[in-house]
Amino acid sequence: MKGTKPAKLLRAAVVALVLSAVFAGSAGASPVWKFNGTELSGTEKIVGAAVSSSLTIPGMTTTCGHFLYTVKISNSAGTGKGEVTELPLFECGTNTVCTVETITAEKFPWPAHLTTVASKNYLVIEGVRVSIKYGGKGCSVGGLTVPITGTAGGLLDNTTESATFSPTTFSATGTALKFGSNTVEWNGLFPTEAFEWHREQALSVS
Amino acid sequence: MTQGRLSKFSASLTAVLIAALSVTAVASAHTGEWAKFNYCPSTTAGVRKCLQAVTSGGEIVLGKKTVPIVHPVTLQGGFSAENEETGISTMFAATNGETLTKAAQAVPGGLLGIVPPEGSPPLVKALSAFFFENGLTGVNATLELAKPASEIQISQINLVSQEGVAMKLPVKVHLENPFLGKSCYIGSSTSPIIWNLTTGTTSPPAPNKPLAGFGGLLEFKEEAQIAQINGSKLVDNAWSAPSANGCGGILSFLVNPIINSQIGLPAAAGTNTSILNNTITIALAEQVNLH
Repeated sequence: MKGTKPAKLLRAAVVALVLSAVFAGSAGASPVWKFNGTELSGTEKIVGAAVSSSLTIPGMTTTCGHFLYTVKISNSAGTGKGEVTELPLFECGTNTVCTVETITAEKFPWPAHLTTVASKNYLVIEGVRVSIKYGGKGCSVGGLTVPITGTAGGLLDNTTESATFSPTTFSATGTALKFGSNTVEWNGLFPTEAFEWHREQALSVS
Repeated sequence: MTQGRLSKFSASLTAVLIAALSVTAVASAHTGEWAKFNYCPSTTAGVRKCLQAVTSGGEIVLGKKTVPIVHPVTLQGGFSAENEETGISTMFAATNGETLTKAAQAVPGGLLGIVPPEGSPPLVKALSAFFFENGLTGVNATLELAKPASEIQISQINLVSQEGVAMKLPVKVHLENPFLGKSCYIGSSTSPIIWNLTTGTTSPPAPNKPLAGFGGLLEFKEEAQIAQINGSKLVDNAWSAPSANGCGGILSFLVNPIINSQIGLPAAAGTNTSILNNTITIALAEQVNLH
């Protein structure tokens, strides 16, 4: 059955509206930082301490017992922004004969922003740079300092007030950490809380 | 000593020597992943790590000629600890004397088209026509080290981080064909071709353009006692090549200019390219000794 001309136009308009809504959602609308449901004004410092976190190059996983990050957050022009200012890493080792002699996060601050992909909110950290010097008897890369650089996208969960970094969240945000041409897998779960003006307030993004 | 006793003593001594040699041979016969380091001088003082780099593809553009690498070439041996300031290690020769294995690569089209100068003796014209224009007698190019292994430099960190020179390799190219004789070389120990290979991007003089290498994908084996880099692409297109020498035996004074003209030698920097596709395997010498 052929539709009338006005009906065709109406259908086309509806399709265009639906497509534009879907496109806007998947391309990443901009969420903002909130405390107790109120949009943050000014700045706040949030701290995330890893429950577990590891960096993996095929065949070797580096794990740190203490993996923290500090982010100075704010909202600007309707978008949640941030700067990672600290990432102290302690008690690190590997699942191989290699030991971690030093591990250092460098070139702070690392700019960060919030984004939404497929209805999920992510924190994207740019300019990540971590140098790891391996050692240990028998370690094939002993004495070498391995620079890991790139961007990292972590999923933010309002219920648990945490950020999760995994291959899935990196894929969703189109981010990657690299060592040369190697992709470095980062897995980490970071419960996060305010450290200055909004202590003990519920942190959320939307 | 009687003749019989002397004979028995001699036989015993031979047996002992054979046994001793066998023990020496077994000592470097590693197994599994470690077999790649069978020719690493892992017990030599100063050797920190063992290396095997197998080039299984790529090409060499030398003046007007392009030679694809079809037959694998292996660089093997040991290397020193990194210099703390430069990060550079120097190579130690392989125990079997083949630090760079010799694999002849066919020069596509041979040297067809060679036309000796008009004033060449009839014999040269006839030989040239016979060997180069019949389409049957090909020309092979074999890459050889032009300097001792100690002149090879390696930067492990540059190799994987795609920055700077990862490997400095002094080489010469041996051209082989019955007419060219056994001593036809491009490059020599006194005038080597120097490749400053990178896995990053080159900055060559014109007419060559920047060429991107690739650091390859790192894979740890044997609990990270062995590091293997798969799919590494080492490139250099800023090197120059000298004229050919020793081609044609006693007729070299006539044949060298012909070869130079045919290949385009000497070839200035910016007209040559080397692309080496590798699998590189590295382990600590002390760990190699334990396996």
